[in-house]
Formats: sequence, C-alpha cells, structure tokens
Amino acid sequence: MKASNRVFNFFTFLMAIVPAVVLISIIVFVLYYSIPSIRYNSWSFFTTYLWNPGFQFQAPIMKHGVLAPAGSAFGLDLFLIGTLSTSALAILIAFPVSFLISLNVELYLPSKIKKVMISMIELFAGIPSVVYGLWGIVVLEPLLFRNVEPWMAQHLTFIPGFGGEIYSGAGLIASGIILSFMIIPIVTSIIVNSFDTVPMDVKDGLFSLGATKWEVGKYLMTSYSRASTVGGTLLGLGRALGETMAVLMVSGAVTNILPHNFYSAINTMAAAIASLLDSAFTDSTGMNLAALAELAIVLMLISLTVSLIGRKIAGRGVLRGYESD
Amino acid sequence: MRVTNSYVGKQEELKWKKVSTRKIKDKIANGLSYVVLGAMIAILASIFIYILNAGASHVTWKMLSTYGNTSSGGVLNAIVGTWMLVGMGLLFSIPPSLLGALYIVNAKSNGTISMAARLFTDVLTSVPSIVIGLFAYLVLVIKFGMGLSLVAGGLALSVMMLPYLLRIIEISFRNIPKEQIENAYALGADDIRVASRVYLPQAKVGILSGILLAVSISAGETAQLIYSAGFNNALPTGFLHSEVAYLTYVVWTGINEPTAYSHYVAFASAMILILSVTGLIIISKYIVRRK
Repeated sequence: MKASNRVFNFFTFLMAIVPAVVLISIIVFVLYYSIPSIRYNSWSFFTTYLWNPGFQFQAPIMKHGVLAPAGSAFGLDLFLIGTLSTSALAILIAFPVSFLISLNVELYLPSKIKKVMISMIELFAGIPSVVYGLWGIVVLEPLLFRNVEPWMAQHLTFIPGFGGEIYSGAGLIASGIILSFMIIPIVTSIIVNSFDTVPMDVKDGLFSLGATKWEVGKYLMTSYSRASTVGGTLLGLGRALGETMAVLMVSGAVTNILPHNFYSAINTMAAAIASLLDSAFTDSTGMNLAALAELAIVLMLISLTVSLIGRKIAGRGVLRGYESD
Repeated sequence: MRVTNSYVGKQEELKWKKVSTRKIKDKIANGLSYVVLGAMIAILASIFIYILNAGASHVTWKMLSTYGNTSSGGVLNAIVGTWMLVGMGLLFSIPPSLLGALYIVNAKSNGTISMAARLFTDVLTSVPSIVIGLFAYLVLVIKFGMGLSLVAGGLALSVMMLPYLLRIIEISFRNIPKEQIENAYALGADDIRVASRVYLPQAKVGILSGILLAVSISAGETAQLIYSAGFNNALPTGFLHSEVAYLTYVVWTGINEPTAYSHYVAFASAMILILSVTGLIIISKYIVRRK
C-alpha cells in the first residue's frame, strides 16, 4: 500500500473519531466545572427547589472546602418538575396525533398526496424554536389566557390541579403544546417508516379476508411497528427534554415558586440554564456557574439516556424528521 | 321483525350486528384521523400565515439595509452575522463529516470503531443545545480565550451540524451501488482515488442536500450562540474577540422589549428566518427527488 494512501486512511480515521472526542470532552469539561457545586451542595441539590444565587456583595463563605456567596443555595427540583411535566404533556399530545396521522397517511389518504402531507408535517420541525416562541407569546398565550384556561378552570375543576387561579397563559400548557409541535414530525416519520415495512402480501391477505382498514391498522400494522413506535416516542421525548428557547419564552421562566395548578408559570432545566447564566457571570466565586454546570450534567444525563434507549428500540431513527427520503 | 327462532335468522342477525359495528369503527377511525391531520395542517398554515403577515406588514427596506440593535436601526448586521456564523460552522463541520463518513463506509476499516463512531454521532445529536452553549462558553470563550466571537460561535454551531452532516453523507455513500466501488478497487484504484472518483461524484447530490439541511437547522438555532457569539450593533471586525449579531437573538430579545419598534424588528427577523429555513428545506428535498 502506498504511503499517501496510508496517510489518507489515518486522516479519515482521525475525522471519524471527532464526534466521540467532542461528546466526551463536553461531558468531561462540564463535569469538571460542576465539581465545586457538587461539593458545596452535595445531596441538597436534588432535594430542594430553591435556587438562591446568594449575596454578591458580602464576603463569600467557605463550605466543604469551596468558596461560595453567602446565603447561596441551589436545588434543581423546580426545574426537574418543569422539564418532566412539559415533556410528558408534549408526548401525551404528540403520540396520539402522530399515530393517527401515520394511520391516515398509510391507509386512508390517496397515495398521490401522501408524500406531500408527510412533507408538510415535517415542516413543523423546520420552524426555528424562537419563531415558535414568538408565536407562543403573541398568539398562543393570549388564546389560552382569554379563552381556553378560563373554560378549563370553570368546567374541569373535578380534576385535581385544574381549578384555581389563572395567571398569564405562560406555563405548562403553552410549553407542552409547542413542544408537541416540535416532536410530532419526529414521531410521525418513525411510525410511518415502520408502517412502510409491513409486507404488502400480508396486508392484502388481511384485506381479502374482509378486514376493514382500521382492523388492518389495529391488528397488523401496530404489531409490526410496536418497537419503533415506542422507540420513536422516546427519541421525541429526548428532544423535548433538551429544548431551550421556545420553552424559555412561553413557560414563564419562574424561579423559587413551585407550581400549584396547571396554569402556573414554570421553568425547565434547559430554560433555566439559558436564563440564569447571564447573572451567574457576576458571581466572583464561580459557584453560580458551577451549579448551572451541574444542572447541565443532570439534563444531559436524562436526555442522553432517554435517546439511547429510544435508539436501541427503534434503530437509528431519524434526525429531525425531514430527511426521511 | 326478524325471525329469531330460525338458525338462519340468528346467523343473519349476528352478521348484521358484527359488520355494522366494524364498519362504524372504521368510519370513526377514518374521520378522526382526517380531523387530526387537517387540524395539524391548519395549525401549520396559521403559524406560517401569522408570521409572514406580521413580518411583511412591519418590514421596511430601511430595516433590511441598515445596521442596528434590537430597539433601533435595522437588522442587516444580524442577517450577515447569521450567514457568517453558519459559514463558519460549515467550515468546521464539513471536513470531519466528509472524511469520517468515508472511514465509516470503507470496508477495510475497523468494524468496532465504525460502529462506535456511528453510535457517538447519534448520541451527539441528542445533546441539548443549551449544554453545547454552556460548553462553548466555559471552554472556548473563557478557557481557550476566544472571547465571544465568530470562531467560538461557529464551533458551537458545528458541534450541532457535525452529526447531522455525517449521518446524511454516510447514508448517501451507502446508496451508491456496491459493484461500482468494488470494480474501482478491482481496477487497482487506491482509497484516495475511490473516494475522489466514485464516492464524491456519486454522492454529491446527497451531500449537497445534507449541507442545505444543516444550514437550515443551524440558521434557526439560538441556544448555542447566546453565550458564544454575543451580539454586535455592526459587523464583527475579526474572527476572535469580536461579537457577532444573528437573527434568532433579534427575535428573542426584540419581542421581550417594551417598544413597538423592537416588536416590528422581531417580526421582520422571524419572517426572514422562517422563509430562509423552509426555503432551504424545500430546495434540499427537491434536489434529492429530482435525482
């Protein structure tokens, strides 16, 4: 083998491990920067919901061998609740919608416009998240605040958490709806792809036995695509957990106040990192920055685990939904 | 009334009942799925129409042609800055994704490493964007001393573009007929020649569409850039230590500012963003389909 070829092969090898190097260095560096916070907060990071940056103009205190602003305390519970509940609501909306759309596209829709419809659903993934946030602020929030939430607070009081005061429209419901728009294309294209793998002759056999389209969908298609449906939903969940900007704009981005009904303002881990990083720079001890790094590590742990499980179940899945051709 | 005593009558009745509930269920599923699909298309259309309408009614030529911040002046610096950042991101992400994909599809490569490379690529797509932003701030901006700059922002974007590009390029390499590659090797071509004469020309449409997709995704990103690119009222003066403006920042801060003019600027930027991003997606789909 020629030397130039060997050099070329070595170079391609170096480039192939770039993603691994990047991922590992992200984990290692963020973990390294969060060490002061891990030592300072220890377990209380996971047991309290208060996020107190401390007094910046008092002498810093020494605790567990690290310097921190006096009176500072950091806990992620509020953000964790927000992340989990917004993502759960997003999945709750996105899964049935995606499933019905896939069923419609596969069975009921004329095959001529099938591709056009899928492409249109995929455009949901192409809208930048700040544009979703903008639309959420000017259209969705007023709509929820004036029309939807008053009705819910009046008529759905028998469900715990649905009664009580309405605040501004920003919060769990708005965040969940916008997140669901972002993940519907992902889940839909994974389910449609798995529906496409159902062998034609089995499908035709079932039709010739007199089965209706719904029965073919219910008994045949779902049994073929159960794994990819679950996996695709998990991949969508992984994306919802890490979404930042849209949620930051429509969640209310609250700190230190626990939500007490479904209309309260909330905050998520990703949005909290984005909104609190600015003020963390002013902390001369660096503890605020370290606490945000720890928050980032926990967020990354959750979202990578969910995505890895989803990938294991669904295969490699799709990236965002719109490269399925 | 039906004759329920006779055997035939019972059969008839059973059949009638069964068929009807099954048909009704099918009709319900049919109707419901159309309603859901229609509702989603309507929501999509309403978002587009709202943003385009709001943007078009507030955008002026002066806004598009002057520099400014989010409360006065125009957005030219943000438009140019966005494309500078995206170009920087491409510069950092195309070489590793192209060559890395060549390694992964090469049959002579180490199988374990190829598999690991693919796994890490997929995992990298699910790292939350704000974590990439935090990493870029802590490591690139502070530790490596780049400051809020074009290079730091470009690198932060390339972390997100790299896995997308690598996977799309890998898929388009795999779509090339195996015989062509084997024939090239059988004729005595080495890896460089096979890469440059078979892989690249055959996959160029796929690569181009992948690049367009990566551009469209990264043009709409914000979270990576807030703490790596900053904001600038004019164009950046250099690659390092000079902040860059970008459109998504204008949308985000503009709508949160109290003046009407900053809202107009936000709507105009959102219109530019949504038009360019969906335009790129449609072009990339079109060139793939035309092939």
